[in-house]
Amino acid sequence: MSSALRRDQNRTTRALLIPALTVIIVFTTVPALTTLSYAFFSWNGFERSGLAGFDNFQRLFQYPYLEQLTAALTHNTIAFVAIMILQTSLGLLLAYAMFRVKRGLRLYRVVVFLPVIFSLVVVGYLWQSLLDPYYGPINQIITAVGFPELAKPWLGDTTTALPSLIFINLWRWVGFPAIVFLAGLNAINTEYIEAARIDGASESQVFRKIMFPLLAPSLTIITVLTFIGAYEWFDLPFVIGGSNGSPAGATDTLALMFYRTSFGSIDSGANDVGVGSALGVLIFTLVGLGAAIGSTLLRRREVEQ
Amino acid sequence: MKISKIRGLVAALFAAVTVVAPGASIASANTEITFWSWRTEDKAFYESQMRLFEAKNPGITVKFTPYLNTEYNAIVATALTAGKGPDVLQMRPYGGMANLSDAGNFLPLSTTDVPALKKLPAGILAGAQGYKDKKQFGLPYAVSALGVMYNPDILEKAGVGALPQTWAQLQSAFDKVKKAGFLPLGNAGGNGPALEQLHATVGPTFYGGTAFFNDVVAGKKTFTDKGYVASLKAVADLAKWMPANYQGIDYNTARGLFANEKAAFYIGGNYEIGYFRSLNPSITIGWFPAPKANAGAKRYVGTWADGAYAVNAKTTQKAAALKLINFLGTKEFGQALVDEIAFIPTAPYVKINDPAVKEINRWRTTLGTPFLNVVGFRFEAPTSSSILQPGFQKLIVGGTTPEQLAKDVQTAVASWYAPQKGKS
Repeated sequence: MSSALRRDQNRTTRALLIPALTVIIVFTTVPALTTLSYAFFSWNGFERSGLAGFDNFQRLFQYPYLEQLTAALTHNTIAFVAIMILQTSLGLLLAYAMFRVKRGLRLYRVVVFLPVIFSLVVVGYLWQSLLDPYYGPINQIITAVGFPELAKPWLGDTTTALPSLIFINLWRWVGFPAIVFLAGLNAINTEYIEAARIDGASESQVFRKIMFPLLAPSLTIITVLTFIGAYEWFDLPFVIGGSNGSPAGATDTLALMFYRTSFGSIDSGANDVGVGSALGVLIFTLVGLGAAIGSTLLRRREVEQ
Repeated sequence: MKISKIRGLVAALFAAVTVVAPGASIASANTEITFWSWRTEDKAFYESQMRLFEAKNPGITVKFTPYLNTEYNAIVATALTAGKGPDVLQMRPYGGMANLSDAGNFLPLSTTDVPALKKLPAGILAGAQGYKDKKQFGLPYAVSALGVMYNPDILEKAGVGALPQTWAQLQSAFDKVKKAGFLPLGNAGGNGPALEQLHATVGPTFYGGTAFFNDVVAGKKTFTDKGYVASLKAVADLAKWMPANYQGIDYNTARGLFANEKAAFYIGGNYEIGYFRSLNPSITIGWFPAPKANAGAKRYVGTWADGAYAVNAKTTQKAAALKLINFLGTKEFGQALVDEIAFIPTAPYVKINDPAVKEINRWRTTLGTPFLNVVGFRFEAPTSSSILQPGFQKLIVGGTTPEQLAKDVQTAVASWYAPQKGKS
């Protein structure tokens, strides 16, 4: 290609990028940076006053915020680990089952993916009524089959609330990793699998030695997205437990704390935009760095087909 | 053929536009104002009142939107900060939204703009003033009172003759109701604010009501006071009378248990009565003030100016918004407030006919004591409520002790409230 032609192409590419870039800069980058800058000012309610340096960050790590921060961060981390282990492995299992299924793949794919497209608010209310300790069918079934002591106030007990949320999340999202893994499995060159079979490899050997390593790119995507999703977890906890992470903060997350601290809640008229923004910066850094490091490390172990 | 069809269409369009156009110009002269509230329960009431307002003020329409009570503050704060708030809104009392009024989000109301303000006593007006700036930012519309509501039919069936006067009598009444196969108490633990209101009802007799309120506001006593700890324990003691799995039962289910005549008692505010009646129009509701801790103690009725109507400072419809505020300050509206949803209106010239509300108001005027957290300690973070709401959820499942919870409240308040600084 001549260099003149390349220059011309570059110019066209740049021209085509300008509208999209402008929209992103004006509506995403600038507001995001402005929000980050809020963390360095002191606030009087919703009025910005002078520069505060790192004061807001210091306060975030002091009473009364530190306790909430530690609890929320722990909950996010538990959610990440649990979702990675349960949701991802179940997704992989479902993908493998769908990959091997001879008939009705389309139906299975729809069934597995269906909850993902439900509105989250609907999912929240659905599970809230299913798990209702008084009228809910789940406890009624548990009692009817003879285990009344296992009929718990699932969403109201501080020990079962977070596991229940993780379960609901799994129900809603498991179709996503399943479909991604299924696409990954379909992309594997069948020659490898056939060759292995001819060499006498068992089904589990084929899965462990060929399919799983070649699924690494899918696993990278799922891990990174799960990490981002888990540390920015807001929608489901909010629909189920409200902005205070009811009961008694057992379902609190970093994003809920950010929302509550920045804008106030029923139990505290007093909000703190400064500390809220400092927390925003912390979440942004944590998620940004985590996702970058995670994807770099995971990419390194991906193998070429 | 085709062309004539198109011509016909164009002609029809023209005709439609000329017919619609005069109507459109009327519509543009119409002013729509938006009105937000946290009372999803009262949507039907407010909508019917807004139709009355519109009939009296042609050219103004009101769009009433209520939001979930627990998320209302955040929703309002976000909207106002983004410059997208409503024209008129229900404002939380005392410190509940003082951060917003101090930041200049609400229009200061003068007695010239809103003459109804002149008729309200100072104690009520204080519920809708700023924290730093003591301007009047809202028209307080109702006073709330806390007490014990009961179902006379269930009490009769259970053989509870006299109404409980003491804490011990209340517990024995619960016992009798339970033996008769009914649920003693409808209250549950799924909602922190409802537990806080439960405490504000039964607690004052344990800590000594208004005297303690004044002492703790003046810094003469602290929240670790023996009486206050006992008041927290009282809430924990009530848990065993709540429905099975009370930890996870939400506010609406809990209220439904009383409204649908499954539970004999419900402890809370008079503002629940309208909701109970809307769920079950045939229910009879009795009311008595919270029983005294022991024979020597006094009884109290927790009370406060519960909410006001305010105008968004950035409204483009100031005249229409003020018209609405003035409508909300009329005798007719106040009368409807008590007749239809059993609120106690602030307006002194309203006549209370509802027997239950009449009874509540009688006790309120003789035994009233300020709602400690709402009136005194919601002005800066961490508020006493922000400790107590999740704290009670922990307390009723044994996750913390009354002593520890009292200490946590003291630490929180002492961190910002000058008269309590350095005290533990």
